[in-house]
Order: sequence, then C-alpha cells, then structure tokens
Amino acid sequence: MFFEKYIEKEEGTIRSYDLHSFRHKLLCILIFVACLAMLIIAVFPTIWVFLASFKSIAEFRKEATIIPKSFDIQTYIKTWNDLKFIRYYINSFIVVTGCVICSVVFNGLLAYGLAILRPRGHKILLTLVMWGLLIPATTSVVALFVNINRIGLNQSYAPLWLAAGANAFYVVMFKQFFEGLPKEIIEAAKLDGCGVLQTFAQIILPLSKSIVMVIAIFTVNAAWSDFLLPYLVLGGSSKETVMVRLFMFRTSNATDVEILRAVAFSIIPPIILFTIFQKQITAGATTGAVKG
Amino acid sequence: MVRAKNEVMQKKKNKELLKKDMTAWLIMLPTVILFAFFVWEPLLESIRLSLYTAKGIRLQEFVGLDNYLLVFKHPDFMDAFTNTFKYIVWSLVIGFFVPIIIAILISETVHLKGLFKVGVYFPNIMPGMAMVMMLGYFFRPGNTGVLNILLSKIGIDPMIWLTNIKLTIPLIVVTMTWRGAGATAFLYLAGINSINPELYEAATLDGAGIRQRIRYITVPNIFSLGKTLFILQIIAVFQILYEPLVMTNGGPNNASISIMQLVYNYAFRDFNYPAAAALSVLICIILILLSGLYFKITKPRD
Repeated sequence: MFFEKYIEKEEGTIRSYDLHSFRHKLLCILIFVACLAMLIIAVFPTIWVFLASFKSIAEFRKEATIIPKSFDIQTYIKTWNDLKFIRYYINSFIVVTGCVICSVVFNGLLAYGLAILRPRGHKILLTLVMWGLLIPATTSVVALFVNINRIGLNQSYAPLWLAAGANAFYVVMFKQFFEGLPKEIIEAAKLDGCGVLQTFAQIILPLSKSIVMVIAIFTVNAAWSDFLLPYLVLGGSSKETVMVRLFMFRTSNATDVEILRAVAFSIIPPIILFTIFQKQITAGATTGAVKG
Repeated sequence: MVRAKNEVMQKKKNKELLKKDMTAWLIMLPTVILFAFFVWEPLLESIRLSLYTAKGIRLQEFVGLDNYLLVFKHPDFMDAFTNTFKYIVWSLVIGFFVPIIIAILISETVHLKGLFKVGVYFPNIMPGMAMVMMLGYFFRPGNTGVLNILLSKIGIDPMIWLTNIKLTIPLIVVTMTWRGAGATAFLYLAGINSINPELYEAATLDGAGIRQRIRYITVPNIFSLGKTLFILQIIAVFQILYEPLVMTNGGPNNASISIMQLVYNYAFRDFNYPAAAALSVLICIILILLSGLYFKITKPRD
C-alpha cells in the first residue's frame, strides 16, 4: 500500500526500483515520519495560541498543560469587546484596502510604461527601480519618517497607502507578466483608436487578472502584517492597526491570556487568506523570489 | 520635392514619437514620484541628516562626520556589531541548512506531499509581530513556558531560555528559521524539481546508491541557488529588528541587540535622528557591498 505510490515518483532521488531492499523501505518510512514532524513543528505554535487562549488567567499561570480545561467561546468575545478590537480591525482594513488599490494601480502603471510603452530613457528608470529592490526599506525608515513629518502626513493613512504604490518587487512581477502578453492585441487596440490609458484599463488589466490577483493577495498580507511604518505614522492617532496594537501590549497591564487572544485575532485574517489562496501564494512565492 | 515631402513626414513622425514618449512618461510619473518620495529620496536624506545636528526633525548645523564618530564610540555599537556576526554565524549553522533538508525530505516523499508543502510554508504568512509574541511564550522560563511543558512530558526539568546569554541569539535565529525556512525550501524544491530525472537513472545504472545520488546530483544542482540564498540571508540578518525588540529588548545585557535595533533606539527612543541616520547609512553601505557581491556571484550563471 504505502510503497505502491512510489511507482509514479518522478522527482527527487528515490525511485520505485530502489525499494526492493528493506533498508530503503525503512528510509522511505523515516522520511515520511520526518515530514510529519516538520508539519507538526510548523503548525503547532499557531494551534497552541488558539488552545491556550481558551484558558483563564489562573489556569494559564498555574497549570502546565497544553489542552485547556474548557472551550468557552464567550471568553474570546469578552476580550474582543474589552480591548475594543473591532476598532483596530477596521483601521487595519482601511489600511489594507488603500494599499491594495495603490499597489495595483501605481506599480501596474509603471510596469505598463516599462514593459509596453517603453519611452526613450525608460532603461535608466528601470535601473533606478532595480536599485530600490536591493536597498531594504528598513534602512531608510528614519529619513522617511522625518520626511513624512515634515510634510505633515503623520497620523494619516495616506503615507501607508502610497508607500504600497512604490514597490520595486511588484513592478518587476507586473513587468514580467506584461512582457508575456500577446503584442497583437495591444497593436489592435491602438488601431481601434484606444488611448494609452484606455488600453491599460480595458485591454491589459482584464488580461492580467492572475497577476493582479497575486499582487493583491501579497499586498493584503504585507499591509496587514506591516508594523514599523504604521507604528511610526499612526502611533497615538487612534488609527492604530492590529499589529501596532499588539506592540502596545509591551507597556500595558493586559493579562497573558488577553494578549494571546489578541494574537489569535491578529492571525485569523492571514490564516483565512492563506486557506483560500494557498495556490496563488505558494506559486507567487517561487516565481517572484527566483527572479527577484 | 520628394525629399522635402520626406522631411516633412520625418518631422511629423518625430513629433508623434515625442508625443508618444511624453504620454508614456506622464503615465509613469505618479509612480515615479512615489518611488522618489518613499525609496530614493530617503536614501539621500539619510546622508544629509547624518551630517547635521537636529532638534527633533529640524536640522540645526552642519557637523561633518561627528554623528558617525558618536555612533562608533557608543559602547552599544560594538555589542551590536559583534552580535550581528553571531547572528550571521548562527543563521548559517541553523538557518541555511534547514530549508535544504526540508526540500530534500519533501521531494523524497510521495504521500501527503501537498499538505507538507502547504504546512511548511504556513509560518511564512504569519505577521512578524504576532509570530514573535507567540514564540515569546514558548521560550518562557518556569514550568508554564510552552517548551518547558513539552520537555516535562519527557521528564526534563524546566530551563531558562532567552535570558540565558548563550542561548539568546541561537533561539532568535531558530525563531527566524521557523518562520522563513518553508518559503526558502520552496525555492530549493523548484531547483530540485528542475533536475533532469535521467541523470538519476543514469547514475543508478552506474551503481550509485541513494546517498551518492544526493551527494553527486542533487546537492551540486542546487549549489548555485544555495550561494545566492546565502548572500540574501546575510542581507536579511542585517535587518533583524522585531525579534530582539519584542522577545528580549536586546537583552540580557545587550546580548542580543541588533544594529537595526540600535537605529530604532536612537531614532524612536532617544529621538536622535542624525545618529540613527548615520547608522542607517553605514548599514546601507554594507548592504550595497553585499548586493554587489550577490550580483557578482549570480550574474555569470544567468
């Protein structure tokens, strides 16, 4: 049973013809067990968060157990209300929505110019964009923060939204996709009298649904998870996102289980996103990173 | 006559081309402005900021390299600098090989393969802040820390984790590896899958065992990818911030403070933006050098 499936095995080293000896059969079983162990290590901490956050604070402090005594969803709802978490969810959703729009529109338009319109001098721009890919955002965050304060955009969502529109990584992904589009369709649109922007909106974007999807998903996850810039820009404005709220627990008197429940709230949306779009996310991870 | 006509045509064509170029640049302009504001200008601003004194965000006077000297002389700098090397060494020992092992294991199994792939990738979609807080509970000392609970099941006494100077950096690297290894393993998996299966068959006919096939076919084929990812990993290590900030706050006794955390402290704890900028510029120079190395290593292969 277990070994029959190895006949179809095409990738990797071991082939069905290796399985005649007992030693190799044992090796296959060991590899399978190791994979199971990896799976458990990868998902256990997340499962633990949900389990432990059902505990009461007394149980959490005293009992050295993994499984809680009872599963009462009311405790979750109470913490949700006590911490007014709905507010941070709404703030995060506002940030995420704006980021997705900016990310697709601005990065898409730049890639459209670089991949299809290709005006004179576009190569210089491409080089500059690629340099942006190399220099990580974290090193310029201090100067960026100072600049945002200078033009008075602190305590506003705008810098976070617009920052998503200047992502070299997404520009490269868009550009590679656009370059693969059939030239004839774009030429035909031009002959039909389509303007340049019209071509983008009515011809290119509908043909690029898959890449728009991938970039939207990546932007959602990145915007939801981003911490440093939202913390610096939105801190003390009552517009804090979920991640900023988590960091604020460092200096609050919330109990451990309340913090754990907050962590649980903060990871539910990414888990849902991953469950629905796991194909796009894992595929995008490979293509983007190899080429980037 | 014909020539004149041609010239007129040429001019008209040039004009049209110019107009076309102008429209293209106009379409790209908004994004170019965004890039200028969010990516390029902050780099220049970092340099300018690092050469001045400042009151809050307002520049005061030009002081040359004084901020750099201040940063260098600060005792935390040497700690952060040596820690960075410790981070690099540990992430080589722990972080570099784990994804390769994961990729080889997954490529050698036929059962539940899809589930394993999705599973090991899963930690990567976790928000960094949430993950770091979550794992903080795992490393708690005392008998209610999660790792200690698990150890007690196999009869090992509770240990101290992050507050043990010898374990702090390795544990932070374990945390980073736990989160990132799956995604990196995907790249190796793609590399392993692109190996021509005939190579393995030919090797088998020549009498190579499983171990030899991995040693002489799989590993050499993912070697260049490994070199690339190694440099990328070092670049990532220079930017460690969340883990020490949240899990240990740089402690115990600066044992885990990272360079980026030093930047963070200068800027957002002491509000000394010029010093933070000076340190940022230093990191940036190191990263540019590393990136140059990265290009040098990867270019001939393309």
